[in-house]
Amino acid sequence: MTTLETPPTTTPTPPPPPPAMRRAGNETSRVLLKRLAGCLIGGFVLGLMVNSKEGSPDDFGFVFHQTALKPRMLIFLAIGVVIFAGITFWGYLRQHARRPGVRPLGMGILVIVVSQVVLNWYDPQTVKFNGLRKLVDKSSGLSSTTTWFFDWLSWTLVALSVVVTGAAIVTRRRVFGWVTTVLGIAGAVLAWTAHSDVLDLGGGIDHSLGAYGDVIGFLILAGAGATVALSQAEVADSRGFMTRVMEYRPGLPFAVLGAVLAAFSYARNCWFAPVNRNLDFAKTHDAYQGTDINSLASNYLGWLGWVCFVVVAVLTLAATYLRQRLLGWLAAGAALVATVLTFFSLKSMTDVAAKSVPQFGKSWNNLGAGGFTACISYGLFAAAAAYVIARPKTRAAGKSATLPVSRALEKARNSANMKALIVIALAVALFYPPMLSQYWQNVLVTQMAVYLLLAVGLNVVVGWAGLLDLGYIAFYAVGAYTTAYLTGSLPRKPPSWLHMTPLLTIPFAIVACLIAGVLLGAPTLRLRGDYLAIVTLGFGEIIQIVAQNNPGNFTNGPRGVEPPVPHPKLEIGGWKITWGLDNLPYWYLLLVMLAIVVVLFYRLENSRLGRAWAAIREDEVAAQASGVNTVRAKLLAFAIGASTSALAGTFFASQTGFFDPTQFDIFTSILIVAYVVFGGMGSLPGAMAGAAVLTWLPEFLKSQVPTDDRQMWVGALVLAMMIFRPAGLLPAKRRKAELSHLDEASPGEVSAIPRGGAM
Amino acid sequence: MTEAARPTLLDVVGIEVRYGAIRALKSVTFNVGEGEIVALLGANGAGKTTTQKTVSGMLRPTTGYVAFDGARIDGIPAHDVIRLGICHVPEGRHVFPRMTVAENLEMGAFRFRDVDKKEFERVLELFPRLRERLKQQAGTLSGGEQQMLAIGRALMGKPRLLLLDEPSMGLAPLVVAQIFEIIKEINASGVTVLLVEQNAAQALALAHRGYVLETGEIVLGGTGQELLADDRVRAAYLGEEIAAS
Repeated sequence: MTTLETPPTTTPTPPPPPPAMRRAGNETSRVLLKRLAGCLIGGFVLGLMVNSKEGSPDDFGFVFHQTALKPRMLIFLAIGVVIFAGITFWGYLRQHARRPGVRPLGMGILVIVVSQVVLNWYDPQTVKFNGLRKLVDKSSGLSSTTTWFFDWLSWTLVALSVVVTGAAIVTRRRVFGWVTTVLGIAGAVLAWTAHSDVLDLGGGIDHSLGAYGDVIGFLILAGAGATVALSQAEVADSRGFMTRVMEYRPGLPFAVLGAVLAAFSYARNCWFAPVNRNLDFAKTHDAYQGTDINSLASNYLGWLGWVCFVVVAVLTLAATYLRQRLLGWLAAGAALVATVLTFFSLKSMTDVAAKSVPQFGKSWNNLGAGGFTACISYGLFAAAAAYVIARPKTRAAGKSATLPVSRALEKARNSANMKALIVIALAVALFYPPMLSQYWQNVLVTQMAVYLLLAVGLNVVVGWAGLLDLGYIAFYAVGAYTTAYLTGSLPRKPPSWLHMTPLLTIPFAIVACLIAGVLLGAPTLRLRGDYLAIVTLGFGEIIQIVAQNNPGNFTNGPRGVEPPVPHPKLEIGGWKITWGLDNLPYWYLLLVMLAIVVVLFYRLENSRLGRAWAAIREDEVAAQASGVNTVRAKLLAFAIGASTSALAGTFFASQTGFFDPTQFDIFTSILIVAYVVFGGMGSLPGAMAGAAVLTWLPEFLKSQVPTDDRQMWVGALVLAMMIFRPAGLLPAKRRKAELSHLDEASPGEVSAIPRGGAM
Repeated sequence: MTEAARPTLLDVVGIEVRYGAIRALKSVTFNVGEGEIVALLGANGAGKTTTQKTVSGMLRPTTGYVAFDGARIDGIPAHDVIRLGICHVPEGRHVFPRMTVAENLEMGAFRFRDVDKKEFERVLELFPRLRERLKQQAGTLSGGEQQMLAIGRALMGKPRLLLLDEPSMGLAPLVVAQIFEIIKEINASGVTVLLVEQNAAQALALAHRGYVLETGEIVLGGTGQELLADDRVRAAYLGEEIAAS
């Protein structure tokens, strides 16, 4: 363990380059000039990018003039100069850049800048930070700290934090870190109070994220200060820090997070939202006094809810602190019971509300976020308990540090991480969507849900078998049209014994896609890489054009399906579920499909077939020489990927009801490839995360930046991602190694690409 | 003749192999006895690798046949040929670069349901260098180590006949000697070896018998010592009498 007193480890100075490559003095200045010009142009372009003016489509010159010649452009030019300085003095800066606290500082500043530049701050007026500043200046009745905060205080706090922390890092006077901590906490409190102040004065329903982002950003700054002050290490090791935190009391961070979230939910969140009013937990109890609500819900609102919270929180905290496996099981069970109680109370609340006051709308339309937040926090508690339950038994033995034991520990830790992640993901997937607005629920189902399935399916073909398939959308089309045919929505009607409801068509759609997959796969399997990509691209086009041309009056051509594909129905015994126009039920249908597919694929990845795919991807000749039937493995990859998209096609067809061939265009195919690559090729969670982020972002940006610009921002993000994290969001282990060539298990090996050489 | 003592394991009779219009092998006939090391020699493009690929099932002969242990095997796909006990180490050290050494070896036993722990140990005893690097990615190994890994991976398939394609390619003389020593050891444990080599002197010193291929035809055959003594071989492959031809 290096201490602060030791100087930074310096690498021996490399020998000078050969004379021919040495730059003369004036050439160096030319390089510097070029760099400065580049940075200034970069700043200028950035200034054009974040222009908030809506341009008229036929007068770009005017808009350019408006943006380029405003004083605000100076800020962006200054950013360019800062970048220039950063690059030029990188040699000096880098010895400090890896010290602990630098990364959290950067992240905090990034979050604050994004919150104060990009995010909305006050929904009733649809203004951002700067717009709100103008409003605040005009209005009276706000406290002076609020006006100060918007006018100059917040930016000053940020600047002060940077200066103080930077000084603390460079001069190695760690105590100054505490100053940043105080500044950060002050900033968070000020942002919170200022926003509440504005809300109190202005009123209205506000879902803006700016203030919350700001609070989080300032808290990260505070954390950065504390890191600078407390960390003994010379080089930041955030992973090691996390490991130590989790080893101290496994699951404790999740338990604390759950407690904070639950407390926030019960104390402050809205539980019941009748027209234009938001009632918190206690007020909801008052509102339901005297209604014919059942005793469970009335007790829940009265005292049971608080009891649930306290019991689960105490049990989980005790379990994580004492590391008692039995307590862990108890806590997980209590969390489950609490979730069920909360859910049924919510159900009876919304039933009563929908029945008594018709203007509230249907069931589930009149609840606030509170109940669902509480459920999510119980999920967090359960995740914390999962850590305690999965605790490796060999903690004492682990100290001997022999390889097998430490491997066992690592395995146990990974499996605990995995379990906790699954619990949290499930809790969020189940209870977060009901909190969303109608608009976002629609996005969730029509965009995210379908593409999640498609990305997971394409990941098999592209990520695992390594076959670049650019025509994947064709299988999706085959699935959708099969469903349309079998539900009688195409001009050609199926025989009456084949006419069925959408959910029953799933096996048929899968078979159709399997056949299509083999048909495409069989002749193309001898092709590799680029050639395969081009052929699949052609296949995708063929399917779309065939659908357009309406051969044999089968697809109904560009007019699309009619009559609409019916919504799914399910009858098991006397239990009947019907899906309709409401989006939320589709989400749960998809969740079931996705769960089945993900579990199957997870098993597949570690099966013989999964190993065969990995071998083919790595080296086809060697795979063949090892006895892998490469033709069969590749065909299976195609077929399995295709059948997943059949599932998506059925889902899509019966959810939207109407579709036409234009929806299966090449652009969508490439988007799905982008989702898989962005998320991390060959990684199941990665593919899902990629699809989720890249479908969410454009919709999110709709309300934050001018609509014409949003694809540019998405593109910028994808570019940045590919430069700084080429393996993807949640990379697969092997793919990561492939791109970085840095493997912990091979110390001392010289890699072809230097560290950070990705740029 | 020594070969009379050994029952024939592999019989290649009159095979012709085409890559489209190109006839890579015109008519190749040779045999390999049980427990032998047989070397196939020849210049670049003579058809050594093609012959081996035909034996391992990656290519099909248009005429002629290949018989292994008394049964015809030409036309059987490569992944089934391996089940008969013919393991192929392709030219150019095809290891799985992003898998660890252990994973590479396990892939070699792909044709079995489970990895045979004893076989794994035996391979590691044969190649102690691999044991040191079990957790390391194969792509980070040196050339010689990769060649050892490729051979070790083939051994995990429990071969009766091991096809080695230019194991000495691009390796330092010391490493080549080491690898040839290991081939001898493998052979001593009862594995028949069909070796393709350009390094004629060392290959013939190791092999029981050898064949010389020239533009798709066997032009010469005999024991290692006989071939080493043959003037034509000395001229063509050992470079002793450059002027003669």
